[in-house]
Amino acid sequence: MAEETSVPERIVSRQVLAIPQRFSTGPVMGRFLRELRDHKRIMANKCPKCGRHQLPPREVCAVCHVEATGWEELPPEGAIRDFDVVYYASPDPLTGETRQVPYVLCWVDLDGTQGDAPLWHLLNVENLAEVRRGVRVRVVFADERHGTTEDIRHFEIIREEASPGAGTGAES
Amino acid sequence: MNDAFVIEGKMALPYQYFAGAVGSKFLVALRDEKQILGVRCSRCGMVFVPPRQSCERCFSALTEHWVRVESTGEVTGFTVVRYAEPYQPKKPPYVLALIKLDGADTPIAHLLECGDPGRARIGMRVRAVFAGERRANLLAIAHFEEDPAGTQEGHSPARL
Amino acid sequence: MSKNRNAAIIGSGMSEFSSHREDVNQPEMIHEAVIEALRDADIALEDVDCLLHGNMELFEMVHQPDMWHVLGDGARGKSGLRLTTGGTTGITLACAADNLVASGLHDVVLAIGFEKLQEGHTTGGITNMADPLWGRSLQTGALTGTGAQKVIDEFGEERAKLAAMKYRTIMDEHAMRNEKAHRRLRLERQYIKETADNSPPLVGELRMIHMCSQSDGACAVVFASEEKVRALGANPAWIVDHETVHREETMVFGSMLSTQRAAAERLFARAGIANPRGDIDVFEMYDPSAWWGVDWLRDFLLLEGDEHLKMIENDEIVLDGPFPVNPSGGVIASNPIGATALVRVAEAAMQVRGTAGAHQVSKPVRRALASGFGGTLWTVLMLLSKEKPERRVNTHG
Ligand SMILES: [Zn+2]
Ligand SMILES: [Zn+2]
Repeated sequence: MAEETSVPERIVSRQVLAIPQRFSTGPVMGRFLRELRDHKRIMANKCPKCGRHQLPPREVCAVCHVEATGWEELPPEGAIRDFDVVYYASPDPLTGETRQVPYVLCWVDLDGTQGDAPLWHLLNVENLAEVRRGVRVRVVFADERHGTTEDIRHFEIIREEASPGAGTGAES
Repeated sequence: MNDAFVIEGKMALPYQYFAGAVGSKFLVALRDEKQILGVRCSRCGMVFVPPRQSCERCFSALTEHWVRVESTGEVTGFTVVRYAEPYQPKKPPYVLALIKLDGADTPIAHLLECGDPGRARIGMRVRAVFAGERRANLLAIAHFEEDPAGTQEGHSPARL
Repeated sequence: MSKNRNAAIIGSGMSEFSSHREDVNQPEMIHEAVIEALRDADIALEDVDCLLHGNMELFEMVHQPDMWHVLGDGARGKSGLRLTTGGTTGITLACAADNLVASGLHDVVLAIGFEKLQEGHTTGGITNMADPLWGRSLQTGALTGTGAQKVIDEFGEERAKLAAMKYRTIMDEHAMRNEKAHRRLRLERQYIKETADNSPPLVGELRMIHMCSQSDGACAVVFASEEKVRALGANPAWIVDHETVHREETMVFGSMLSTQRAAAERLFARAGIANPRGDIDVFEMYDPSAWWGVDWLRDFLLLEGDEHLKMIENDEIVLDGPFPVNPSGGVIASNPIGATALVRVAEAAMQVRGTAGAHQVSKPVRRALASGFGGTLWTVLMLLSKEKPERRVNTHG
């Protein structure tokens, strides 16, 4: 072999690995996602022992370890419990494509929620200064729904002057 | 009532794998020189192809003992792939074989082209067919083919 | 907690931690740590009965990497297990090694944690651990600003931000004394505010400077029974006890369980530790960000109010201080994730064994604590001691 005179070449194999998947919802998440898809209803389940809601619902109460058998519809309105303004552009793992930033994620206590069960989703907001805890928001449902996270398009801030329901459905 | 249904998911992320100094030397020689390199363990006497940095048996460092092995060898095991998957190197049916190159002690896995897959057998003499356009991966060897004239006689790997 | 016999750490090794290791493939990188650990323990590969192997699933997208890694890790012909419990993987390996040795199943166990984060996408990989039925498309890996906001809400923006950056700067001062550390930035205390302001924001008040690094690296630790320790004449760091606490929620709200505090309460009660700050001499904490490092210090040490902030403000946690935290520089300095929690145990053991070199704390170390973090805010704690623990009979059924 010839004498190596320069820095030796380092071989790298670059690839995007993509795996198609199929997930069974099971009966509990299945009911939650069906109600969302078919009726735009947000259903939490309820622990018979401690009375707390779980949203999204789970088969068993995470605290009491008993079957969470109760169901209750929660309204698509509530107050921001906490939020994240995301500046870091990470890849969407469903597509491998990089997300647009900044965007806002929020955790919302829907009115009537028992316990710590805020609903998590995007907040559609132009002015980041408006994002504060306690701000009243409502769910904007997607027009086409398939029983996934994207059946909710995002939350939006409820404005006093706006008529109820304005801004839902149609793209702003 | 069972509310369960199925939703489609997907997982897609970028990855990059580094061959390292030892692997890179092997792949570059394959691509640029059509040469197959290995390493010899001076304690166990084993010649490993592809090369590795250390001996898995005695933990000796191996990278001082490079050798060049032949591009001919013998089938030590094989399987006929008959099912189709999107990620396969070629259309089934095809033969995947373990091939011990002359001068090596460990076999490599590669494609074996021998006409009818039913003709594949352990002990078959084969030779590497290099790809015309070669990249730094194992498919710089396009496949192995039968080498009926070939015999295995006293091949000792050339020291580098 | 009952043990058939005591187990101790008698050696450890680490590869160099770096953002890029193009010069080695995965088994070659692991080999560096294994060779160093065997040398440190002064044993040969033949002395090892069992190998434990762990890293993060999905991060490099190699299915069953332990098969490939036999090329470098020494597993050929030996008993072994692969463990993967998210960020806690490394310390779960240590707990499993303790269990295997203390039970009498094996005399010498080698635990190996590794990650080559450069080969995959860390945040993408973590995002794929989210529930695929709900929220995976919303997840941004392990990045959140809510941990920062919690401290700011409680102590005010100015004091909270200064404490986080003081903590960050102390970690860097420690990393400067650890030649294996990945990020060694030479941060200066007088420029704390400017350093934070100039650092790119990630999420909310969590900035790049606060966040753990993305590192390539491997760590290997040798565990041995008390009979082996005696036979080898080894310098041991004895394992007193360990505790794991899981939960399922991905965020901290209201009355939700603090796994840090719960693990500490249980472990300290069993070990008879009434005053953690006095009874423990050094703490290697899995601190994924400066904000969580600040916040969790209070929970791990069972403190109240602003005692944890005062510890930082008064320089108590520095390497030569009364309660050194992360003499190694911690996770913010080096984070090869599958190895990270094992590095905490290895570094705690080095402090007990007195082998930490330039980042050995100046006070004598009788007891050292190591923590792991992972999953949905899970905690694993391990307590090590210089003195051989007395074996106790199980008291809680
Ligand atoms: Zn309950
Ligand atoms: Zn050997």
